[in-house]
Amino acid sequence: MDIVQVKGLTKRFGGIVALDGADFSARLGEVHALLGENGAGKSTFIQILSGALNHDGGDILVDGQDYRPVNPDEALGRGIAAVFQELSLVPDLSVEQNIWFRREPRTWLRTVDVSQMRQQTLELFERYHFPSIATTREVRNLTLAERQIVEVAKGLAKNPRILILDEATSALPASEATWLLSLARQLADEGRLVIFISHRMGEVRAIADRVSVFRNGSTVATHDAAAVSDDQIVTEMIGRQLARLYPERMDTATDRVALQVRDFSSPPMLNGVNFDLREGEVLGVGGLQGHGQREMFQSLFGADKALGSVTLWGKPVCFDTPRQALSGSEGIALVPEDRRGQGLLLTKSVRENLSLPVIRRFSHLGLLNQRKEAELVRETMKSLSIKADTPEQIAGTLSGGNQQKVIFGKMLMTQARVLLLYDPTRGVDVGTKGEIFQLMRQLASEGYAILFYSSDLPELVNVADRVMVLRSGRVARMLEGDDITEEEILRAAVFDSEAA
Amino acid sequence: MNTFLSRNRLIVLAYIGMLLLVLITAFFSPGFLSASNLRSTFILASFVGIVALGQTFVIIGGGIDLSIPWVLNSAAVLMTLLCAGQDLPLIWVVPLLLAGGGLIGLLNGAGVALLGVPPIIMTLAANVILQGLILVFTGGTPTPAAPDMIKFLSVGRISGIPVIALIWTALTVLAWLLLSKSAFGRHLYAVGTNVTVARYSGVPTTRTTILTYVISGMTAALGGILLTGYSGVAYLGMGDSYLFTTVAAVAIGGAPILGGSGHYIGTVAGALVLTILTGLLPALNLSSGALLVVYGAVILLTVSIGSETFSEMWASASNRRKRIKEGTENG
Repeated sequence: MDIVQVKGLTKRFGGIVALDGADFSARLGEVHALLGENGAGKSTFIQILSGALNHDGGDILVDGQDYRPVNPDEALGRGIAAVFQELSLVPDLSVEQNIWFRREPRTWLRTVDVSQMRQQTLELFERYHFPSIATTREVRNLTLAERQIVEVAKGLAKNPRILILDEATSALPASEATWLLSLARQLADEGRLVIFISHRMGEVRAIADRVSVFRNGSTVATHDAAAVSDDQIVTEMIGRQLARLYPERMDTATDRVALQVRDFSSPPMLNGVNFDLREGEVLGVGGLQGHGQREMFQSLFGADKALGSVTLWGKPVCFDTPRQALSGSEGIALVPEDRRGQGLLLTKSVRENLSLPVIRRFSHLGLLNQRKEAELVRETMKSLSIKADTPEQIAGTLSGGNQQKVIFGKMLMTQARVLLLYDPTRGVDVGTKGEIFQLMRQLASEGYAILFYSSDLPELVNVADRVMVLRSGRVARMLEGDDITEEEILRAAVFDSEAA
Repeated sequence: MNTFLSRNRLIVLAYIGMLLLVLITAFFSPGFLSASNLRSTFILASFVGIVALGQTFVIIGGGIDLSIPWVLNSAAVLMTLLCAGQDLPLIWVVPLLLAGGGLIGLLNGAGVALLGVPPIIMTLAANVILQGLILVFTGGTPTPAAPDMIKFLSVGRISGIPVIALIWTALTVLAWLLLSKSAFGRHLYAVGTNVTVARYSGVPTTRTTILTYVISGMTAALGGILLTGYSGVAYLGMGDSYLFTTVAAVAIGGAPILGGSGHYIGTVAGALVLTILTGLLPALNLSSGALLVVYGAVILLTVSIGSETFSEMWASASNRRKRIKEGTENG
């Protein structure tokens, strides 16, 4: 008998129907993937399953017994734990303190048994071959990827029968993502159920036994992974046939250099980067995570300090703040890594978010021309097909893909024609991904110059005109033409080219 | 306007609460609705409202200004000393003191935005330092009476309407324009909501933060100058009650203490509620100690009703009731 059985599950938030009669069924010993566009109801579904939300109607049976947890602790009591996309770690606590948070091993004095806790952590890490992270480091000093790994450890430490992984690979670089996939497989082989959410079809293909597809708040179908084609899944997800994910390649690059970067350094992460980004070009940035990509993007945008010379459309520039980078007719705009922490005012409307960088442009004698603002906002929403009820919808209630489009819109409303895109498709559904790539190509053909970092290798290979691979804060290789393959990018990222 | 109201439900709530309070007060002390009593209520509310204007801006921006009491007190003392009861010096004394208040705000803001000092520490220190300076400067001796012009501004009337209510109205319009109709307002809400996002969106975050403290310093100084006209003299400690009342007026007006939303229109209701409350409580024949207890408790209650946790509790309780009614859950 299937351990989890869900029938006709419904959930509304005010007037919005998030789940509309979803059915689901899964058994121990399998990796069960959930697929669906953002906003299809996957997140709501797993939040209900993990006790973070209550459902309005329908039945959930776990072990054949009625299941309606009021909080995550109660869910764990039935053997269900979840690793969420929104990270839930306490920044001031160490790795091990976070992993055993509220469930710390105690001494007979009821104080925390530190050595026991460390022992358990190391055992856990060893048993599941965790990438090495010092257990005593404070979480605030970890990278996003490392935090995600700790989050996985925290979920595993609860020893659940059912583990939910919500886009856990999206923040991970390739090697760690591979590890997590084999971990999921291992857990299933141990006789647990792993419910796995990812927007990367390759990952789902690699490990899932079965696949359930969500659309508009209900489940469309459940398939044996081996018996279903990618095309069929994508069609089910979006309810129509997707023309193609990656846009046709066009060489729109001109000879004009938009952004010239020389000796760009901010030790220890960035140690002398040199490159030219041309008008009309999409220049990919690859490499293992933590080799200076983030620092390079932040510093070019003026959000961090760096030394070296930067020339923008032939003029030397030096940005100390993002404001300087964004202002003026020849600026640099950034679509940042952390959508919720850097990109969007989640509690404000789509309109307020879109017009924020350029709000002064609507100011006349100190007063805002709100009609002009509304007009431009509407145009931007239309041209990027941002799906919101009205411009007044609160940005935090949009799906991830639409939130990302709002951030694109913000940046496109400025005059900047050099765009820095830091992992712009992270956690974005496949339909929106296609739209974003299409948009990038279109912008390039309009004369924008685009610097594009992605943690997903196929994206670099299929979208970028050239790919520069960073290693230890330097450009290890600049790949062009037929050299742009996943293998070459990885080779350049890992091996010392001089030794080769 | 519709979106303004639907987005600021707490402000609507504050005005409804204020009307209820008016009815209750009128019931317990029938004289409350007389023209003279309404007028004096308005005058008192104006002081709270004017001083709370700056506090509103600071709180929306994610900070708090605890230096208000002694900025206010310093302005009052210096005004009476420099004018020595004469109207003429006001021409330069008032601008000077407003600039002085702004300067204290500038220092507060610079400490917070440039040096990263927590707002509570920065403004509390400024408050204590000003208190010390004024004590040293006056030696504790009484200061001369307020000039007649100031008295006219505080308690005078123009065709029956208190002058200070006109000043308050003008300032309210100005605050509304700044918050709702200017680029500065947008920047301010962005900074208060998430300063990192604001910075990444090209908002001049440092300048915006500093400006809120400058405004607060100026309204505190203005409040001090006007309050002297009401009491006739400046005395030490006259600003002390304004710390609590300004924060409470902002909170009752629906602005979350962590910033990012709220509006001065709400603070106006908050100032009126607080003032009516101080008028109601004596009518209940309570001792002055009991009065303070009730005053504090009522404010705590009003503010927590508007808080997020409270409204979530309401929502989940009513969901539960609904489920019980539908029979999907027992007990």
